[in-house]
Amino acid sequence: MFWLAEGLVYRRQESIIHSLDPRVKLIISLSLFLLSLFSSTIFEFIILLSAIFLLGVLSKVLRRMIKTITFSLTFVIMIFAINLLVGYDLIFSIIISLRFIAIISSSSIFFLTSSPDELDLVMRSLHLPYDLIFAFVTAVRFVPVILLDAVQIIDSQRSRGLEIEKGNIFKRIRNYIPVLIPLIVQSIIRSEELAEAMESRAYGFSKKRTSYYTLHFKRKDYFVLCLNLTLVVLFILLIHLFHL
Amino acid sequence: MIEVESLYFKYPLANDYVLKNISLKIGLGEVVGIMGGNGSGKTTLIKHFNGLLKPTKGFVKVFGKDTRKESVAYFSKKVGLVFQNPGHQIFSDTVWNEVAFALKNFGFEEEIINKRVKWALEFFNLIQYKDMSPLLLSGGEKKRLCLASVLAWNPDFIILDEPTVGQDFLQKEKLIEIIKMLVTQNKTVIVVSHDVEFIWLLQPRLILISNGIIVKDGDCRSVFKDDSVLEKCGITKPQLVELYEELYPLIERPPVDIVEARSMMLKLLRGLK
Repeated sequence: MFWLAEGLVYRRQESIIHSLDPRVKLIISLSLFLLSLFSSTIFEFIILLSAIFLLGVLSKVLRRMIKTITFSLTFVIMIFAINLLVGYDLIFSIIISLRFIAIISSSSIFFLTSSPDELDLVMRSLHLPYDLIFAFVTAVRFVPVILLDAVQIIDSQRSRGLEIEKGNIFKRIRNYIPVLIPLIVQSIIRSEELAEAMESRAYGFSKKRTSYYTLHFKRKDYFVLCLNLTLVVLFILLIHLFHL
Repeated sequence: MIEVESLYFKYPLANDYVLKNISLKIGLGEVVGIMGGNGSGKTTLIKHFNGLLKPTKGFVKVFGKDTRKESVAYFSKKVGLVFQNPGHQIFSDTVWNEVAFALKNFGFEEEIINKRVKWALEFFNLIQYKDMSPLLLSGGEKKRLCLASVLAWNPDFIILDEPTVGQDFLQKEKLIEIIKMLVTQNKTVIVVSHDVEFIWLLQPRLILISNGIIVKDGDCRSVFKDDSVLEKCGITKPQLVELYEELYPLIERPPVDIVEARSMMLKLLRGLK
């Protein structure tokens, strides 16, 4: 379980993608995300997923992206099985599963290459209310922390003889109670401590917040943005040509 | 008996080994201290003792049985692990049920469960809270509760991960008494700690780990003599050992506790008169 947490965490790294303006990274991720919503043939998904994996290689996060996908594999299998069970054909079920993988991996491009601080800046450039930004960024920051907590709680309860994977489906769900309760309690305690620590550092004292870093588009950002737009248009044209 | 032979361990998809070529044997009736810097692999090592982690290479055997062959529950019955943070285990509605949880998992009979839970709560001075929510206990009490919930099923090996964190001096003294008592019952207590003063008072066999390798394994007196190894692991000497080194050769060996240090000092002062 422990190693899974890695697939969801931002790591400071050097790469072409990391050095881009976070707004550009968000646009790339979003366009891939939207394209995967509208794609409907296996061929299109092959192109999309290759593009996503190529970005993964360029940003040196491919391994961790694969971890994220491995993590979501249970859901992929579930989606696939449910689609088959309710009577859709094999090809359609495969497409739906591929769409899910594409959605997960396209959004992980942004989250694996942008630090929570960059996320903060992007949301601020969209003029969202700061409390909302703070809540969102904190939630993202806390995902790996809570995952690590979960791993330790599971270890601790297994050491007291709890066999999570044993029994029928209802027993298995019940087996998670000794894991979920400490996890929720720990999270509440942590959020309370965070609130106190923030208040002792004058959170909310001044209405206007300033930022140490500000975002500026550079030449390469414009270039990548144009490239992204061209590729998206090309892809849409391709879809239409195939459908025609 | 825990046997570890040429143990190598790395997390799946990780590049580096967290533990490298670890071999050791721990018998019954021992007190073992495991020390090392942050991230040296101490906790990873003890998680191998009840099968929570399985070796990448090499093997770990508990009473002759390979940890890869049986479930964690099977080994936990013999090797009780008390984790550092009580918040990671407490979940029951009452203190009583918290202690009974593991006993129920291990399938003990109702009568035995009641007897063992009562004994454990009385022993740790928690019986008056038996119907209270464990979440309402103080930090120190929660820590004692975790210890009680493991000792209740009477494992042969008891592993304590950082037992002194957040404990006051009296609780530490009590813990030392408990550990010494357990050893008289032929149990083995393994203590992972950064607290050199606490470790010294236990006078254990001491294992030092640095970067996933055992750099020293021996009687704690001889280990605390080895300056270069201590420096490598980022460990300072206990005050009583420093006192001895300052006064050597006026006193012949480092005192094991304050009481002995005091009598040594008095003897020395009388001699000076």
